[in-house]
This record gives sequence, C-alpha cells and structure tokens, in this order.
Amino acid sequence: MARTRKTRGESLILRYLVLGSWALVCGLPILWFLTIGFRPRTEIITPQPIYWPTFSLDAWHLLVSDWPIARYLRNSLVAVAGSVVIDLVLAIPAAFALSRYEFKGRENIGFYILSTRMMAPAIVAVPIFFLFKTMGLLDSVWALMLIYAAINLSLVTWIIRSYMMDIPKELEDAARTDGASDLRILWEIIIPACLPGIITAAVIAAIFAINEFLFTLLIASTSRAYTMSVALANFTGGSDGVIYNAIALVSFIAFVPILILVILIQKHLSRGLTMGAVKG
Amino acid sequence: MASIQLQNIVKRYGAFVGVQHMSLDITDQEFLVLLGPSGCGKTTTMRMIAGLEHPTEGTVVIGGEVMNDIDARDRDVAMVFQGYALYPNMTIYENIRFPLRMRRVPAGEHDRLIRQAADMVELGDLLDRKPGALSGGQRQRAALARAVVRQPQVFLMDEPLSNLDAKLRASMRVQIKHLQRQLKVTTIYVTHDQIEAMTLADRIVIMNKGAIQQVGTPDEIYSDPANTFVAGFIGGPPMNLIDGVAEKGRFTAPGITVPCSAALRGPVTLGVRPEDCQIGGDNLEGSVYGVEPTGDVTYLTVMAGTKAVEVKAARAFRAEIDTPIRIGFDVGRLYFFRDDGARIRGDA
Repeated sequence: MARTRKTRGESLILRYLVLGSWALVCGLPILWFLTIGFRPRTEIITPQPIYWPTFSLDAWHLLVSDWPIARYLRNSLVAVAGSVVIDLVLAIPAAFALSRYEFKGRENIGFYILSTRMMAPAIVAVPIFFLFKTMGLLDSVWALMLIYAAINLSLVTWIIRSYMMDIPKELEDAARTDGASDLRILWEIIIPACLPGIITAAVIAAIFAINEFLFTLLIASTSRAYTMSVALANFTGGSDGVIYNAIALVSFIAFVPILILVILIQKHLSRGLTMGAVKG
Repeated sequence: MASIQLQNIVKRYGAFVGVQHMSLDITDQEFLVLLGPSGCGKTTTMRMIAGLEHPTEGTVVIGGEVMNDIDARDRDVAMVFQGYALYPNMTIYENIRFPLRMRRVPAGEHDRLIRQAADMVELGDLLDRKPGALSGGQRQRAALARAVVRQPQVFLMDEPLSNLDAKLRASMRVQIKHLQRQLKVTTIYVTHDQIEAMTLADRIVIMNKGAIQQVGTPDEIYSDPANTFVAGFIGGPPMNLIDGVAEKGRFTAPGITVPCSAALRGPVTLGVRPEDCQIGGDNLEGSVYGVEPTGDVTYLTVMAGTKAVEVKAARAFRAEIDTPIRIGFDVGRLYFFRDDGARIRGDA
C-alpha cells in the first residue's frame, strides 16, 4: 500500500516536471518579450546577456505619447469582433443548409466554399484594393471588418458544418414532429447542440483576423484604420531605427486579448478541437 | 384519435425500392406493430406517416384527411425515437414542454400538462435534470412523456426499447401498453423483436423487403402463418422449416416422415413448431445435438440428416449429445409450404 502510494507520488512529481518544462518552453518567449518591453533601448542590443535588466517605461511612454496605441487596439478589436459576428451570422445558416438539406450540387457548393481558402491571398489583393477604392471604403475600420469576415467565412462555415453533421438527425426529426419550423430547429436545437463548434470556429476566426497583415496594410493607409498588426510593422522603419522594446510591448498587447479569450473558453475550445478531430 | 389509411404507398430511393405498393387500414385506437428484419421498410413506412419522408406514389390518410402535402410539423402525430432524441441542452421539463411551445398551447396550461405527463411515466422527480444525467430507461420515459404531453392523434414509436437491457425492456413494454390503453391513441410501433410484437399488438404487420407478408392478430400470425418468412420469424424458437418431398400422401426428408394430403406432390417445405414435437414417436429419427435447459422448459436440438430441428421438451429432460432419439409430431398441427415459400392450405 505504502509502496503504491510512493510510486504514485513519484509519477505525480514526474508528471508535473514534464508539464512544467513544457509550460516553460511555451511561456519563456512571452516572458522574454515582456522583459524586452520594459527595458531601456540601450539594454536590448548588447553582445553580453543582461540577467537583471533595468526596469524602464521608455517603450510604454513612447507608445502612449507618440503613438495612438489605444486607437490601434480599438481598431483591431472592432474589426475583429465585427468580422466574427458577420462570419457567424452568415456561416451558421450556410452550414445548416449544407449539412441538413438535400439539394443538387450540395457537395460541390461545400467544396467551392472551402476552395476559396486555397489560393494565395496576394492574388486577389490588387482587385480588392480597387474594389474598395471604388466603394470609397479605403482607410476605414468597416472595410477591415468586411475583409476579415470574407477571409474567414469559408473556414468558419466549414468548421460549423462538420459539427452540425455530427448532430444526430433524430433530434431534428423529433423537433419537426414536435411542431418546430426549420428556423426554430436551427435556433433551439442545432445551435445549442453545436455551440462548442461555433465557439471554436469563432476563436479561430478571431485569431486569424487579429493577425491579418496583407489586406490591412493595403486598405489601412493612415493611422485612422491601423490595427495592431500593421502598427507593429511601423516600428521597424523610420529615422529612429528598429525600436525593439516598443515592438515587444505592442506584440504583447496584441496578444493579450486572444489569451484572455482562449482562457475564458478553454473548456469549449479543447472539447471543440478534439471533437472535430475524431470525427470520421 | 384517428384512423390511418395507407393507399398503395411506394417509396423509391433511386433504383432501390424501400416500400412497394403497401396498403393498410389502421382503425382508431388500434395498437399496430410493424415487424420485420432491418431494412424491410418498416421504419420508412412509419416515417412516411410522420411526414418525415414523402411517398413516391400513393396516399397517406390520417383522420380522413389526405396528408401527402402536409408538413410533419402540421400533422398531429407524436413520435418516439430509438435513440430517444431528447434535446441535450434542455432539462427534462423543457424537453417535455417543447411540443407545447411549438404548438402554441397557452402557457398557463404548460405546467399542469407537463407534470401530468411526467407522472404518467413516473418521472416526476427528475424534471430539472438534463438528459445526460439520466439512465437509458429514464431517458426513454422522458421521450414517452414528451410524446404524450400534447395528446396527439397518433403515436409513432420507432424501436423505442431496443437500446434498453432485457429486464428494463420487459417492464417498459407493459408500461407502453398500459399507457396506450389508458390514452386510447392510435399507435404504430416498429420493432424487429417478435416478442415485443406479440405482446403489444392488437394487430401485427409482418414486412420483408419492402412488402407486407401478412397482417393479422398475434394469434392469427402465430397459428396461421401465410408463408415460410412469417413462420420462421414468429415464435421463440421459431417454427422448424424442413425441405423435403411429398408423394402419395407422405412427406419425406432425411430422417423424417409424416403423413400429408395425397394431393401434395413434389418438393415442399414442412413447418412444425418446437412445441408440437414430443419425445418418442415415429416422425423423426435422429440424434441429440444439444440440450438447453432454461428453467421452465428445456430446448432440445435434434439432428435429422443434416437438418437441425428444435424441440420443446419437459423441463427435466436431459440427454447426452449424439444419443439416438425419436421424435413425434402433432400431425394435426403441421404446415406445408410451396417451394416459393407460400403456404399450402387444405388439400391443395
């Protein structure tokens, strides 16, 4: 008895050791970024490592005084949140139709939707630029919202569709004989049943959107519509050279909303990702 | 309350025929069981009555009204599914309430109706649980309550007991029959289990390959089967079907001789139920293949030539395998079938 307890204790220590090392591997770059963000510029590019750097708010002051960081962050959040909402509003009914209705060319349409992800985004960059220019949508957060939504729509549709296909048809039949219309079935039965899938799709879309660079650079030509990802790039040029501590700080700020999001919905997300994975 | 008529129903899926030219008249308050092996079209038939499938040809009439173009949700039909189909995100209370909400039953009535339905299936204290927290039997009762709550014209039950263990199945069976008698609602019940069919039904419809084989009361189906399919499907163990030759008033097969009508000639199939066989006699000569005591009776398998024949013996009967044995048949209760499976009646 004592012996088994001991081995169990040992295996627990081992387990924590392995998990702890892995957490360190994952956490170290983030931590390192944070320390860079709060160092003076002079302590960043040195041949000798500095183990106990001086704490400095230089980068923070630079961001707050010279850069409209709050606006960039707001632009990012508005564009990303809006695009995810647009995606869900369009993708949920589309996924419902693709997974539940029998119609000619259903598989083809499904594949077509997915195939829009298959080309390199740069191919459509120029046409999209002119399209948005003609519509007078350049340099606006609303345009970014539309672009992000368009980029992620196919993926979101596809993820939600695969979840909906896993919901037993019996549930829908039961609801129908109980007297529910198609919209009712979607709203009261299907959406709650595939909520983990919807959340997974939304988080993935949000991550893609917040990291989007190419179209944002194309459409956002002034700081009016800059997002975090493009603002970040602006620290790499100019007369001041590369401002590493500011880059580190902005990266961290851009990363925090996603981190919070993922922690909040962790339970759904891990279940969602594995559920999709084991599906045949 | 309603009668149901199926008039020459056909269901095709491309080239595959699911149900072929089926006509059936179900009277008001009847408990009708559709019985057959999987893929025989019984569930498809039920789904056409529910409105979840549309017949390729023919007419579905419920309560005197043609239903072909009426959507499932507008037919006053409640269905119980094999997998229960409880809504996982709702509590049992909300599950039972769902049909009431959908059918715009006044909200003030809901609570009374839900509790009444839940009490009927003895589920009263589980109403605030989610389906995931219930056992199989409790889920099935919740599904029944959801069907009962809105007092539909017709109940449809699609193998509702097949996911339950044997003991629970037996007790739920009685409960379902009691409920149906109490509510007096026309009920159609699909199963592949002949015991369920025999115990529940007012009438049984036996189906195979999309076609009706026989319609009748359990007694009729048991004592007067229309063909070898019905004979071999009903009874536990089912009727022995022995291929042989009839000539000059005698039927013979390896190890087996019985008298038959002199008019019978050529290859025929003899049918004899295990309970119409007695140990000792001169109709079958073979050897013991196996003995299966069940407590109240003992089933004996006898090899006659290469044919295994089931015999229902007294409960104390025991024998070693390969012992030679003679069996007598109750010659007044023999059945003969043509080689295409159809029953040969009388002297024909």
